[in-house]
Amino acid sequence: MFSFGYFLQQTMNGVILGCMYALLALGMTVVYGILRLINFAHGALITLGAFFTYFIFSQLGLPLLAVIFLVLGFGGLMGLVLDVVAYRKLRGGPEVALLITSLGFYTFIENLMKMIISPQPYAFKTPAFLSTIIRTQYLTFRPIDIFIIVSSILIMISFHFFIKKTKAGIAMRAISENLEVANIMGIEVNRTISLAFIIGSAIAAFTGFLWGAKYGQISYDMGFLTGVKAFVAVVVGGVGSVPGAMLGGFILGLAEILSIAFLPTYFAEYRDGIVFAILILVLLIKPSGILGMKEEVRV
Amino acid sequence: MLKLEKISVKYGVIPAVNDLTIQVKAGQIVSLIGSNGAGKTTTLKTIVGVLSPFQGAILYQGKDITSFSAPQRVKMGIALVPEGRGIFNRLSVQENLFLGAYHRTDEREIKKDLDWIYELFPRLLERKEQVAGTLSGGEQQMLAVARGLMSRPSLMLLDEPSLGLAPLIVQELYRLIQEIRNQGVTILLVEQSAPMAIRVSDYVYVLETGFLKLEGSPEEVESLEDIKKAYLGG
Repeated sequence: MFSFGYFLQQTMNGVILGCMYALLALGMTVVYGILRLINFAHGALITLGAFFTYFIFSQLGLPLLAVIFLVLGFGGLMGLVLDVVAYRKLRGGPEVALLITSLGFYTFIENLMKMIISPQPYAFKTPAFLSTIIRTQYLTFRPIDIFIIVSSILIMISFHFFIKKTKAGIAMRAISENLEVANIMGIEVNRTISLAFIIGSAIAAFTGFLWGAKYGQISYDMGFLTGVKAFVAVVVGGVGSVPGAMLGGFILGLAEILSIAFLPTYFAEYRDGIVFAILILVLLIKPSGILGMKEEVRV
Repeated sequence: MLKLEKISVKYGVIPAVNDLTIQVKAGQIVSLIGSNGAGKTTTLKTIVGVLSPFQGAILYQGKDITSFSAPQRVKMGIALVPEGRGIFNRLSVQENLFLGAYHRTDEREIKKDLDWIYELFPRLLERKEQVAGTLSGGEQQMLAVARGLMSRPSLMLLDEPSLGLAPLIVQELYRLIQEIRNQGVTILLVEQSAPMAIRVSDYVYVLETGFLKLEGSPEEVESLEDIKKAYLGG
């Protein structure tokens, strides 16, 4: 009943969903590492990015390359605004204030979108060169699937390189370990944190575009559950670890898709529940996550 | 080179340092002695710009730097080797050293300094790819000093560098501190265990619960009976 082709097809779907979770998890894990903030507002960037590309790509029909750069720029700008307007003033205060602010910011964006766009979902149409179905012996897919996988992997590799090798990346890791000492090394802490928000938000907005193009439907509230799942990916992979965030994303994506594909149909409604069951399991077995290090208590 | 003029620092409402005036002349090793809670670390953090005084002024190379941020002060040549070393445990030894030179843009000179540091501390060269958290206590202290040197400071502040180190390593460390001074770096040293610090110093300040208790040359300070009792172990 389950052929090899079917398995391959579902695995590909899982990988694609995993790519998107992984992209979102990158931005979340870096922000969490630095500020100990579960950035719910990250989810709002998915929605904003999706609607932004809906207008410039689906409606205006700008070329793909221009759309990629514009959505990255748009997301980055939003990330900067978010950091400067909402978070910067709260630094040094209790961590819970940041958390509430991010939740508040998410709620604000969601309701703003509901008001100015519509409570109804939008159909996200992609041009034929991305959506023509290609059939091979085992797999049926569209060019957008390949685009998602390739662009995600490129982003992940560059992000990994950025964090590991560049001056700003090393500075981010230093801040996440000890903000005060990073400051006396001459690191401009505020500027570096803004950069983390800019990069993370740019990737999140881009993911919103991928999400719309892949699933063909976007809505004002699409960012919430997606954002929460991305955070689950961060925790599963190991908080603060960039490879962990990617791994967590892929595990979640695959588990979600494969469980629907191979469990009896009446389990399909539990796809979100399965994600959180994985979270609980990981927290029980290895609280620091699969690739996470033990967190030392911050004094 | 450095002058604190009647600075007072508070944590919230709790005063930590009161009306402190000290002076460090170029090319000197000056030490700041005092027991726990005397305000030594607070003083250093204020000099480097992590804390700001609510009263008084900080003069560095003749300039009033009281309102400057920490990164600005680092650029002007002030480096702090923090209490408890402040090594980035999850970063490699080499990355820690690079962060010392974070504010510098002269890539070629940074490379040169790195070679010089590895010559000075061969053990850091052996472990350069290793995560700094795996180093021994002595090695971590050497790394902290080396990281400070990577910023090419004119003034180096050391906060209890000998804390938790074996006596032999402390001796090595103090030889190094004198060597650094001989290279032209001015040093302000904070210590709780005083004999070693006093011996290498040109001038000594003694702090007690946030106030300057006394100051003088090492000989003067050492000769005082109550100093002997309190800080020199009889």
